[in-house]
Parts: sequence; C-alpha cells; structure tokens
Amino acid sequence: MEWYQWLSYGAFFLCLLICAGHFIRLVRLGKPTDFAAPAGSEKSGIAYSFTSGMSPKKKESAFLHLPTYLAGMVFHLGTFLAILIYLVLLVYSPPPGTFLTMIPAALLSVGALCGAGILIKRMVTPLLRNLSNPDDYISNFLVTLSQAALALALVQPSAGILFWITTTVLWLWFPFGKLKHAMYFFAARYHLGLFFGRRGVWPSPKQM
Amino acid sequence: MDQEKKQKALKILSDHRDSKLLTQLSSCVHCGLCAESCHYYLAFREDKYIPARKVELVTSIWRRYNTFAGKHFPGLMGAHELDDLMAEELTDQLFGACSLCNRCVPHCSIGVDIAYLVRTGRAMLSEMGMVPATLQATVNAALETGNNMAIPEDEFTDTIEWMEEELTDEFGDNGPFIPLNQPGKHVLYTLNPREPKFFPLSIAAMARIFYAAGESWTLSTRMYDVTNYAFFSCNREDAAIIAQRLVDEVKAMGAARCVLAECGHGSRAFRWEAPNYLGQPFPFETLTNVELMLEYLEQGRIKVDPSKNPGVFTLHDPCNLVRSGGIIEPQRKILKASVGQFVEMTPNRADNYCCGGGGGQLAMSEYNERRMKIAEIKADQIRKTGASVVVTPCHNCVDQLMQINAWYKLNVQVKTLAEVVSDALIFD
Repeated sequence: MEWYQWLSYGAFFLCLLICAGHFIRLVRLGKPTDFAAPAGSEKSGIAYSFTSGMSPKKKESAFLHLPTYLAGMVFHLGTFLAILIYLVLLVYSPPPGTFLTMIPAALLSVGALCGAGILIKRMVTPLLRNLSNPDDYISNFLVTLSQAALALALVQPSAGILFWITTTVLWLWFPFGKLKHAMYFFAARYHLGLFFGRRGVWPSPKQM
Repeated sequence: MDQEKKQKALKILSDHRDSKLLTQLSSCVHCGLCAESCHYYLAFREDKYIPARKVELVTSIWRRYNTFAGKHFPGLMGAHELDDLMAEELTDQLFGACSLCNRCVPHCSIGVDIAYLVRTGRAMLSEMGMVPATLQATVNAALETGNNMAIPEDEFTDTIEWMEEELTDEFGDNGPFIPLNQPGKHVLYTLNPREPKFFPLSIAAMARIFYAAGESWTLSTRMYDVTNYAFFSCNREDAAIIAQRLVDEVKAMGAARCVLAECGHGSRAFRWEAPNYLGQPFPFETLTNVELMLEYLEQGRIKVDPSKNPGVFTLHDPCNLVRSGGIIEPQRKILKASVGQFVEMTPNRADNYCCGGGGGQLAMSEYNERRMKIAEIKADQIRKTGASVVVTPCHNCVDQLMQINAWYKLNVQVKTLAEVVSDALIFD
C-alpha cells in the first residue's frame, strides 16, 4: 500500500474509534424508562419504524418530493457501495477495464451525480440555503467527491490518490459533523418506533 | 442575560436521562423535506416556520456548548450562543409557531422527534422565565387554585347543581345524576374547566351517558381538572405538581378507574406523561371517555339511535389523543353508530392536521393572528367534507373549531363526542 492509502485507512480507524465512543455512550444512556402503561407493542412499533414507516407511501417527505427522495436513495446506495469497495480494496484490487471495475464505477458515477444534484439544490434553493450551515455543504461535498473519485480510480488507477486523500479528509470529518447521522439515524428510528409503538399508534394499517 | 438562568437552560441540553435527547439532537440532516408537513409553513410559506428550522434553533445551541467541533469551530458547524437575541427567537418560534401537533415527526425523512426537541427548547425557556405570560398565567391558575380557569369551588358546585336540576327535570327524582365527592365509586370522572365555565351541557351529556350505562361514578369538587398546561410550558416540576393532585384525588376517592374528559392534551399529559413526571406507574386504571363510551356501546350498556342525529357529521382528530395517544378508531366506531351520515376529513387519523389550537396556542393570545391563519387548512378540510356538524373529542379543539367556524364562515355546528352520543341515547 502507498502512504496515502495507509493515511486513509488510519483515518478510517480513527473515525471508527470515535463513532464507537458515540455508540457506547448511546447504549450506556439506554432506552427511556416509561412508567405509563403501554397501549401497544414497542417491538411492533420499532419493526414498523424500520419497514412500512419508512415507505415512500407513508412519508410526505418522500411522496411530495419524489425526485429528491430518489436522488437521496441513489446517493446513499452509492455511499454504501463505496464503503464496501473501500473495504474490499484492503485485500483485493480488481483489474481495471473489467466488469468488476466498470460496473461499480458506473453505479458510483450515478451516485455521485445524485449527490451533486442534492448539493446544487441546497445551494440554489433559498429554503435549503437558509437552513444550511457549512457542515451541510462540506459533508455532502466530501461524500460526493469520494464516490466520484472512486469511480475514476476504478477506471483509471493512476487517479487513485485523489480518492485516498478525499477519504482521509472524509473520515476525519465524519465523527464531528452531520455525517454522524449514519449512526444516529438508526437510533432515531428506534426511538420513533418505541414512542408510537408503545402508544398504539404504530403499526397503523390506515393512515390516510 | 442572567448567567444563572442561562446555565440552568443549558443544563437541560446536557442532562441526559437516557439516549433519546442525544439521539434527537444529533440526527437532523437539514433536508428541509418536513416543511410541507407543518401547518405553519403551509400557511405562511416562510423558511422560519420549517420544522427543521425550529429543531436547528435548539441543536445549534447544543452543538455550541456540548460538542468538540461546535466549541472550537462554531462557524463551520452552525453552532450558536444562547444570548438574548437567540432566546427571543426561541420564544417566538417554539412557543409562537408550533402547536406540538407531532405531524412532522412520522414524516421526517430521518425520524427526528421534532416536537420532543421543541418541548426541550420550551423547557429551556421555562428555566429562563421566558414562557409567554398568558400561558404561564394559565399554569399559575392551576397551581394556585386547582384548575386552570381559577373557578372557585362554590361556583363549580353551583354549576353542577344547575345541571343536576336539568337532569332531574328529564329523568325524575332518581338522582343524584352528577354525584359529587362520593368515595368508593368505580369511576372518578374529570373535566376540562371549560366545561363548567362555558359548556356545562357537555357535563350533563356525559352524566346522561353514565346514567344510561348504570355506571358507579363521581366527580370531585376539589380536583377535577384534566388539563395540565405545564405540559405546554414544559416545566416538569409544575407539571408534576398538577399531575400529583389528580393522582392523590383518585386515590383518596378510592376509584378503580380515572376517566379522562374530552381533552386531547389533558389525556396525553395524564395518561402518558404524568407517570413519568412522577416516576411511578398509577395504581389505578386510566382511560379516556372515548374508550369508555365505546366500551359501553360494545357491552350493550348504552343503546343509540343514529336517526336522532340527522345531517352530515365529520370528525376532527385531536393530535394529542390520536397521533400521540393512539386513540384512533374508537371515536369512529362511536360516530358510525350514533349519527346518520359520517364523512372523513382528508387526511385523517394520525395524518390529520392540527386545528391550530394545540400546544397552548389557545392560551397564548400573543399569537392569535398566526393561530387563525394556520387554521385555514382545517377550515378547508371541513368545507370539503360538506358536513353540517364537526365532532371532536377535545374541548380545546372545540374552542378553536368554534373560532374557525366564525372566522372562515363555515356555518357548521361543533360538538363533542359525548354530546353526540348523548343526543342519540335510547332509554328503555
């Protein structure tokens, strides 16, 4: 491995350590104690929160904003793919010009385009611009650039340094800004399911 | 800004009972997709009314004082000091531009409990003595007199005696129809103080239902107030004092059941929040009168004739009872049995829009203009049903709906569920 690869994986390890600290803190704080007698099932509420409760049919944030929602989904799928490839690259470098690199590169390019689209939307839409702070732009930019750089590196390995340097910055930024939502998202859905499940609001067969 | 008060307010953000607060403070991604789920944003179309913006007011303060990046690079992280200007904006947005209806929460792309964070911000303001004066006066009235309208006990008793006479005229001398302060009864019933103050006939309506069902019940003249406006001012100590009084009264009367009157926030504050304010489960059963009326119907203890309620009826779902209380279908089953024609609003159930009177808005006259503007959504919903009667199991909503009726010239009647059931009762 080159020095910049070591640097990136070192940053990744540091990021994991700090995120583990966040996670341990959450676990130690534990779930809320609720003395009110339950009217429904917490387990069913949590299951609903992670399944039907996230369905685009049930969420206005999705069905009223389908293009943004779809772009967000693709962007996040691209991110997961990039992380997967990032981990695979620890032990195996696929030969360039084969389907093992061309297909992921194409998918990552689409993901990066979606990320860029969301970033541009944030910059040009007054509503979002007024809601945003520098972290919102930096976080999106780093993830989008990482996907794009990985796509480029898979096709043209000599451009790999851009990817490794970008991911180094990304991992160092990750635990401090909004990217932490990668972890807190699951905790938020858990609490949401807990709240609505215990009160018998979720699961709900009829919402409209 | 008083530094002692500021530190107390900041402690709300750093004092973690469990993982919920930390989770909510760390989760919003500023996607802004919650905007259209908020009636304030829909009514005004201004950025400051986006739920995420209200969340950001609270989380930006948390980041400034509680995170490494927020302490050292506040500009990059959008972390803000809690100063006088920020406190004023918090008051305006968290008290004056949120009815705590919870509608944005299930629609949030992440699942942030936005209303929980708004309540957290309100708790901070409460620590700083910045609860709007009108709302605080309502809380103080409850703390000082035992009910939020400061109704003296003899005035309350007079009102009940008046209703007792009305019922005696109807049913003969078989009373008391509204038993007062009788220990050992199965049910202790509560009231929203609006009932004795403005709508005594709704007390009579529930008394008719109890009479038809042959229920063993009583009212307490000492403590009958189901409301808890400290739930809105978000002062936990005040909320606990108010809740404890009702708990003590149920115990003193030896009732097996505490039945909560038609009051959305009161039901929620007592059924769901009070055990946590007090740190212990209740040693008695707590249920709403909506659940009780359905129980009577399903057990055949009361009989209703829907032809006694002609016309088209629609239902307004109180947010705290439905979206945050899980009472979703009982009121529908009751209405379908009790009225000629029932039409749903769109959207309805847990997706229904707030009437605009929740979150303490009706008590805060400072924000009256906003409250009536956001109510346009509810007015449109009602208009589209073509209904002549709007039913809602919440006296707070009744008040707001009556104002909407006049303001938007809807020409509808507004009734509580108990009034509708009472009108449909068949006495053998």
